[in-house]
Amino acid sequence: MKTAPFTIKSGGTASWAIRIAIAVVLAGLALWIPTSASNGLIDSCITALTLMACAMALNLLLGYTGQISIGHSAFFGIGAYTTGILVAQYGWSPFQTFAVAFVVAFVVGALVSLPALRIKGVYLALVTLALGLVFPQIIKWPKLEWLTGGARGLDKTGFRFTKDNPTYEIFGWNPWGTLRGENVKPFHYWIAMVIVVIVYLACRGVVKSRAGRSLVAIRDNETAAAVMGVNLAGTKALVFGLSAALCSLPGCLSAIRTGNVTPDSTNLTVAGSITFLIVMVVGGAGSLWGPIVGSVLYVFVTELTGDWSDKQAIPAVLRPLFGWSNTPPGTGIFAVLLIVLMFVAPFGIVGMYRRLQARVVTVVPKPAGTGTIAAPAAAPVEA
Amino acid sequence: MKRGASARLLAALAAGSLLVAACSGDDESTDGTTAETTAETSGGETTVADTGGETTVAETTPEAEGWAVDTEACIDPDAANAPIEGEVKIGSAMPLTGGVAAAAFAPVKGGFEAYIKYANENGLLGDMTVSATIEDDQYNKDLTPGAVSKQIDAGVHLFSGIIGSPNNAAVRDTLNEECIPQLNALTGSPAWGEVEDYPWTTGILVPYTVESKVYAAQLAELYPEGATVALFYVNNEFGQVYADAFKELAADYNLEIVDEQTIEATDAAPPTSQITSIASKAPDVVMAVPLGAGCIGFLTELAAAKAQNAGWAPATFITNTCASSLILGAAGAAADGLYTSGNLKDVTAPANAEDPAVKEYLAYMESQGLSDIAATAAAGWTTAEVTVAIIKQAMESPEGLTRASIINAARNFEYTPMLAREGVVDRMNGAEDPFLAETLQVLQYDFETATFTDVGELITEFETS
Repeated sequence: MKTAPFTIKSGGTASWAIRIAIAVVLAGLALWIPTSASNGLIDSCITALTLMACAMALNLLLGYTGQISIGHSAFFGIGAYTTGILVAQYGWSPFQTFAVAFVVAFVVGALVSLPALRIKGVYLALVTLALGLVFPQIIKWPKLEWLTGGARGLDKTGFRFTKDNPTYEIFGWNPWGTLRGENVKPFHYWIAMVIVVIVYLACRGVVKSRAGRSLVAIRDNETAAAVMGVNLAGTKALVFGLSAALCSLPGCLSAIRTGNVTPDSTNLTVAGSITFLIVMVVGGAGSLWGPIVGSVLYVFVTELTGDWSDKQAIPAVLRPLFGWSNTPPGTGIFAVLLIVLMFVAPFGIVGMYRRLQARVVTVVPKPAGTGTIAAPAAAPVEA
Repeated sequence: MKRGASARLLAALAAGSLLVAACSGDDESTDGTTAETTAETSGGETTVADTGGETTVAETTPEAEGWAVDTEACIDPDAANAPIEGEVKIGSAMPLTGGVAAAAFAPVKGGFEAYIKYANENGLLGDMTVSATIEDDQYNKDLTPGAVSKQIDAGVHLFSGIIGSPNNAAVRDTLNEECIPQLNALTGSPAWGEVEDYPWTTGILVPYTVESKVYAAQLAELYPEGATVALFYVNNEFGQVYADAFKELAADYNLEIVDEQTIEATDAAPPTSQITSIASKAPDVVMAVPLGAGCIGFLTELAAAKAQNAGWAPATFITNTCASSLILGAAGAAADGLYTSGNLKDVTAPANAEDPAVKEYLAYMESQGLSDIAATAAAGWTTAEVTVAIIKQAMESPEGLTRASIINAARNFEYTPMLAREGVVDRMNGAEDPFLAETLQVLQYDFETATFTDVGELITEFETS
């Protein structure tokens, strides 16, 4: 067996140096975007962050637990409509609606998980697909029109800052400036960033915990997991509910950001579910970084090729490949990329990166018993 | 590995969906169909033009003392009143990818860009040049703000022809606060008439509510003793606005609605059960608001139902989004005798072959290599034409060309696009008349000749005089 030329000890100095460097770069980037980037780029980042949160939530369910869902657009929609209804119909502040959306989506998600206790694979996929299909119909149901606005949707669902009330203060503190026109973009960006951080920490907290090991055990062998004492029903219901609840948060942002909700919005339909799925799979299912990489790449490709319907905008070397189409080829490129990845890197870009990394660097895990829990026991000895 | 297998299966399905969506953008037959639809609808607005075969931009009326926007409410009043020199940049967001919507609306972009080129080549704005950038929002309202922001960053002076009600609504607040004109929204939602709250936003299509009224009035003429009506409509914002308007009017015109059926915009299956339900009520009239390829499915199913129910021959009214010779031609004999409406000339009709404006339009599209979409690109062409005419009027105003003078010109505007029917004059008059196009001609389709026949006079009562 070949050994990699470099070795890094997990938890060692080099390991921490790399982690800190990555954290500093990411934090710097996160701060640079809303303060110095163009509004167009900020908006693209909001789109990427929205997809990121949805794909992370789906990853918790599909990537870690092996429970297939093609209905997460419904949970996104629950978030969007909870905010929409409470803001437009009842005059709530948009921020107050996040908690309500989280709870509603969690309950719905847990209920939807009930069939998952008895079915799996493609049958579960069909159940969730039905959820994704039926959600817009429920919204359009004439008997609910008084609440949801029916097929027309709801308007004025975001913040409406005016000249007399130009900003949103936090306990009297205004870090935003005037939140009107294009100036509102950084505000939306920070909402999106907070959502992503919350979703990431929630997923990480679950995945790195005992519960996380239960999820992986369920994914890899349900029977073995049950034999080992994993509560299959409770774990599946909880993770389904949590995944749904987390997916509702970017839905709330969608209602705030565009100021309207309609049942035919792309992210509320099965097309949205498929996009979340693609982003997750391309980035790397079963990896915390997968959805992050996938969403950034998805938005990057679609933005980069957005004006390629104009043949002159296509780089000369690529013109023979894409010059024949009179529409931007971003979606097609991503589809082809997805197919190729399934052959060369079935665990997505992050999986491929790890495989390549292993040829160069060997990461030596910490010996058992030297984690943070064991540390206090070692301290007296050193003293 | 279960994870790998599941992921691969789903990825394959997802990739297939993506490829279908990506490839559908070039489906010419669909393109044509949808585009025509849009064109017909938008047709409401135009006019004038000297159809002598030369330049067709109409003479515009210099801005009178009328409605004027309050720029003090802007974030940057100085920018709103700053002179625009050299080149006026128009931005827009349309679905260029994303499947059915992209296929449907692609010709709108072609027509829009063709007219902008035409305007520059003919010096319609004098020393000024005009440019247009059209971003792809995939018909996804979550992507429209980004598409618009990028163009604001690039310094566009106004937006025109953004497609879709939610898409326009998604950027309405931003553009009104920034005081950037959002002209000619390519939807017929009544929401574009909210002058008080959104003075910088205008629409270009005949409001769906007006079209409903036109049909109700026509029905009252056909059935003075009253009639039973079945409603069939697409279950989205477009269909519901339409249906609600019709239901509100029904009692006033002695019309009894006996059945109400819907179809999803994404539903490719023919509406067999819905039409069966309608046929079981045997109404005197079927009022239909389908969309795109759904128009053909509806007409075909209705024809089959009529054949199965001898003696039932309802009058069929169909929204003018379906009123193109391409769509109705595809429906075949099932479309014979139906009623619809329009305010643009049918550029494919033999009767219009010698019309100077139609000839000029077709010749220019051919010169640009766009003959294949000429029949369906009229909506984009007309939208760009109206936009250029508004800019021209703003240039001639005492303030000169500024963002504020553009919206003032738009809201004090009278114009007849070159492809408009005889007698159509589109007007906007501040808060008093916030809709540009409100004139329609009721039409009846003849399958044998594949042409429309005028029914009654041009209806101008909804337009201000």
